[in-house]
This record gives sequence, structure tokens and C-alpha cells, in this order.
Amino acid sequence: MSFQEVWSPFLIGSFLWFAGIAGMGSVAYALLRLYRVEEKLRELSLVLFASIVLALVFVVADLSRPLNMPLAILGSLASGVFIAKLAVSWMTLGISLLSILLVLTLALALRHTAVPALSKFTDNKYFLALLALVGLLVTLYSGFLISSAPGVPFWNTALIPVLWLISASICAIAVLKILVHEEKLSRILTTSSLALDAAELIAIAALLNVALYSGSIAAKISARALLAGELAAPFWAGVVVLGVLAPLVLGFMLLKKEDRRLALAAAVLALIGALVLRILVIQAGVFEVVGL
Amino acid sequence: MRLAHLWDQSKCIGCGACIAACNAANYASSTKENRTWGWIRSNIKRITFDLNAKPYLLLVQCQHCDNAPCVAVCPTGASYKDKDGLVKINPSLCIGCKYCMTACPYGARWLDEDTGLPAKCMGEECLSRISGGLEPMCVTVCPAGARAFGDIDDPKSEISQKLRKGRVVKLLEYKGTQPKYFVVVGP
Repeated sequence: MSFQEVWSPFLIGSFLWFAGIAGMGSVAYALLRLYRVEEKLRELSLVLFASIVLALVFVVADLSRPLNMPLAILGSLASGVFIAKLAVSWMTLGISLLSILLVLTLALALRHTAVPALSKFTDNKYFLALLALVGLLVTLYSGFLISSAPGVPFWNTALIPVLWLISASICAIAVLKILVHEEKLSRILTTSSLALDAAELIAIAALLNVALYSGSIAAKISARALLAGELAAPFWAGVVVLGVLAPLVLGFMLLKKEDRRLALAAAVLALIGALVLRILVIQAGVFEVVGL
Repeated sequence: MRLAHLWDQSKCIGCGACIAACNAANYASSTKENRTWGWIRSNIKRITFDLNAKPYLLLVQCQHCDNAPCVAVCPTGASYKDKDGLVKINPSLCIGCKYCMTACPYGARWLDEDTGLPAKCMGEECLSRISGGLEPMCVTVCPAGARAFGDIDDPKSEISQKLRKGRVVKLLEYKGTQPKYFVVVGP
């Protein structure tokens, strides 16, 4: 039994990671703006735009017919099939959501750099609500995309979107922790990230537990590979210890006293853990076993 | 009309003629590797089960599901179910996202690295043959008469008659795909 090689774990894992950062980062931007926190919004807007661009670069890099993409999508739109597909294909929905988020984050980046006049438009509460909604949907889409692939039972569970949502929220908080210096906000971020780290640990345990006891041989093989097989070393070291437990311990230390270097370490480790998690989940996919 | 494949496991002698014929007809006898399956460029995959007491083989290919996941997930409509009940690919709409490949529980698609298309049964030549009233190549060449192809909505068709007589299994039916690849396991 071998792991799936249809989607490149590195390319699709990185795509899912950047989509999560851009998605929940957009929610964070909207919340900061609504609560009138002005610190580092310019930097955050650039991170968001760069993240969505990189997400698109990584996903396009995994296509086997990238040059056909523009005409194929235009052809599908012209025939009305693309619109109908929005109701059944997460990828169709994703293409649309990513395109919208690209435009919205571009507007934010321009508002903070070359075209300040855009602030009339981007600081509007309706724009911010739309940004937060699309950001949340992009994050959820990145989970539903793989959980709606019935060929790979390990992915084919509703726990993936939940895990992705938690993990992407941790990433957004980590980005803010790296950018923001203000103590009161840092404290809020530390507390939130502690709660999310604990939730992520439970979600990872639930994903593996469901796979082990789901009755699908392929899902069991995937879970065993992560727990004690070929992928166990990067899973335990990269995801569990460095990606979740270390930020959790550092978070408790930060609760006692905020420390810039510790906060940076916790944020970087959380970001790395989220990336490794996505790469490993894609890598661990095994196709359903066909038999009589 | 719902065209479907039937493979009679109890008659199959495992000669591989169907696999070779698929390769010859649809892929010009190419010797390049089908890297997705670690197999030759053919739309039929042979799986052997080395059970000590009762080893058996299974020939797996596109099931032309009535409720095909590959059709549902395709973002552009490149994978579609035709009026004849077969699942087909429109190359002009395919962006190569490979979502159909991860969606198929049967692993029935493989990546043709020359075209970037997620290839599967039926290939171009076989589609051309059935539009001309002929059988797909795998059915034509089978020396054991273990294969049949036809309209399961027509009670007089050969496939319908075989379906009535034999003990028939559908693969991974619990997935809800409503497959139309029928495996006869005995009389």
C-alpha cells in the first residue's frame, strides 16, 4: 500500500497553509479595523495579499494543464456550467472565493501603500464584513476541498475543515503576534492562541481516532503511518511537539509575563507546525482498497 | 440508455489481452510507464489478492457511475456524464486539477503525462468504436468471453441477459456511487 501521489504534498500542503493564513488573517484584519486597532495594519495587509498570491502560485504549480486553465474556466463560464458547479464542486467555489479574496486583499494592500484614497472604500464596515466573510469561507473551503474527495478515506471526514479552521486561526494569531508590539493586544493574542492550541490538539486526536476506528482499511493505514509508521517522526516532532505543545508551553509562560522573544518563538513554531500538519495530511492519503 | 461494462471473474483466465488491447488501441502500444498506477498505459488495472487459501484477481476500470464523484467535483464540467450513461472527459475544459482522481474511490483514473489529462476508460479509440456500433477493444479481444458491454436499460442486450443469469457484485457499492461495472462471480 502506497501513499497517494496525485496531489503533491508540498505544493498542495503549502497552498492550504497560505490560503488559511490569508483567510483567517482577513478575518483578523476586519476585527482589528472594527475595534479601531491601527497598529501594523499596513504590514498585515501586505502579508494577506502575499499569502493569497502564494496560495494561488502553489495550487497552479500542481495543475497538470495550467496553460489550459484560463480558456477552460472562460469556456465553462460561457456555457453556464461553472455557475451550476458552484452548488456541487468545492473547487469551483474555491476558485471563485480565492479570486474574490485576491481582489479584496489587493485593495487593502493598495490602500496602505500606493492608493490611500481607497480607504473610503476599504474602511467601510460593509467591506470589512465582506472581507471577514470571504476570509472565513476560504479557510473552510480549504478544508472541505480535501474532505470531499471520497477516493481517500483519511481525508473524507468533516473533521478536516474543523481542524483547518482552528489551525488557520492559530496561524493568523501567530502572524499578528509577530507584527504587533502593543502589550494589551499581545495578551489577548496569547490567551486566544492558548485556547486554540488546546482545541487543535483535540481535533488532531479526533481525526486520527476516527481514522483508526472508521472501518476503512485505507484510513487506518493513513493514521498508523502518522502515529507509528513512515510519517511518525515528522508528525510527532513537527506537528505535535514543535507545532502544538511547544507553543502551548510558551503560551503559559507568556501568560505570567509577556516576552517578545518567547512570543516570536511561539508564533514561528505554530506557523511551522500548521504547515507540516497540512503537508503530512496530504502525504498520508491512501486510496480506498478495492476488493470483492 | 445506460451503457455499462461486465466482467465475468469466473470465466476470466487472467491472460491480460484486454489490458494489452486497451494499450494498443487507445495509447498506440506505448511502452511509456503509467506512473500513477506503476503500470502500462492502459485503462484497466489488475489487482491481485494473495490470499493463501484462495488467491484471486480483480480487473478494475472506470465504473461509469450513475452518481459519479469525479463528475460532481470537477470544477469546470470537463468530466461529465453523457446521454449514453458513460462518464467522459472534455479535454478543452480540463485544467488538470486532478480532483477527479482523488475523488474516485476506485482509483480508476491515471495521469497521462503527455496530455496532462486524467485518463480513464473509455479511451478515444474505444469511444470511436462504440459510436460506430462496435464493441470496446477489451470486449472484442477477450478469448474467454469474460467481458460484455451494452445497454443495461435494454432487456434484450447481451449484458442484460448475463446480468439476469449470473451472481453479480458491484465494487464499493456502499460508497453510493451507483457503479455500472458489473463483476460476475459465478453462475
